[in-house]
Amino acid sequence: MNRTAVGAPLTTVAAHGLRVDLPQRWEARVYLRDATAGESESINPVVHLGNFALPPRRGDYGSGAVEVMRAAHAFIALVEFGAAELDTPLFAAQGVPRPNVVDFAPNALQRRLPGQLGMQRFFTENGRTFCLYVVLGSARFAAQLVGEVHDVLDHVAVESR
Amino acid sequence: MTILVLIETVLLAVLTVLVAGLLRAYGTVLRRLHEIDSGTTSGPRQFDLQPTPVRRPVDPEFGPAHDITGETLDGEIVSTRVVGVEHDTLLLFLSSGCVTCETFWAELGMPGAIQLPSGTRLLVVPQSAADESPDDLAEVAPAGVDVVLSSDAWRDYEVPGSPHVVFVDGPSGRIRGEGTGQSLHQVAELLARATGEAGFLTGSSTPKSARDQQQEMSVDRELLAAGILPGDPRLYGSNE
Repeated sequence: MNRTAVGAPLTTVAAHGLRVDLPQRWEARVYLRDATAGESESINPVVHLGNFALPPRRGDYGSGAVEVMRAAHAFIALVEFGAAELDTPLFAAQGVPRPNVVDFAPNALQRRLPGQLGMQRFFTENGRTFCLYVVLGSARFAAQLVGEVHDVLDHVAVESR
Repeated sequence: MTILVLIETVLLAVLTVLVAGLLRAYGTVLRRLHEIDSGTTSGPRQFDLQPTPVRRPVDPEFGPAHDITGETLDGEIVSTRVVGVEHDTLLLFLSSGCVTCETFWAELGMPGAIQLPSGTRLLVVPQSAADESPDDLAEVAPAGVDVVLSSDAWRDYEVPGSPHVVFVDGPSGRIRGEGTGQSLHQVAELLARATGEAGFLTGSSTPKSARDQQQEMSVDRELLAAGILPGDPRLYGSNE
């Protein structure tokens, strides 16, 4: 991890074969699901990214964080699934998706909160299977936030296992 | 013949009025477009005024702040933004072993013991696992408190020892106050005096207009400068 001072827009977070160069204002937290994960869940890494102060306690899909989001905030969860999912139809898409504004809708939210929009995509990158889940704080700032989300996703690197 | 001339005259007059009306409407459209292009308007403004966030100047005595990267006690890799963000951050540099820090850890675990100005994030920053005992930290760190182990942060902020407290202004990315104390409560009083943020003693307040915020902060600053803190009996006068 590189330290950041005033005027340095990027900081890098790298762990568990995942690397993200963060644009200004964006922060990240990377963790491994622990033994408390359910039987059907993997203990693979989860990356949380936000352009706001991410709270210490969060669910895999951002519960605990989305509640403190404001209209101009965005949240990204990159949840890795197990190798058993490889080559399944759900994860057939290759490469980190770049969602468009029209991909977002309130009914795609894991936790439905007023004004927020969500989207979810499953994909495979470098032989690793992921779910990308994005929450936007409001439709009003959707275009701007999607641009920021693209900027973050452009700087996500996934190493092969 | 006279009748024909009269009819033509009337028609001409009507057409003149119509053309004048069209030209006037066209002129209005052009004027409005010009107003939109140049951003000026002679009439009333057509947008809502948004309250301007009230921020006091940052003391040049203090230096630039730094983002915090490190690891939590659960092994989560963390990169938190302190610089160039909308929220302010209170950094508590604590250790597992220092005697004074015990008071801070205990206070952190008491519900309602921590008061912070609205929109302020609290980060507790012990040194990294190589310089600290994560097991000891796990025993003293209360659940729900954001603890990020980072020796880099200690170096960046030139922490002289623990406990040490730094308050960072997020938008400017500069330190607004720092120091130490015997307890979290004492530090909160010192920070309130140093920064004029009564929120360190009273907690976050409900949203108010910028004008009200400015007025209240001005009063708070004057009271704090005079050594009058929240709860001071002088605030309530005498019943006699």
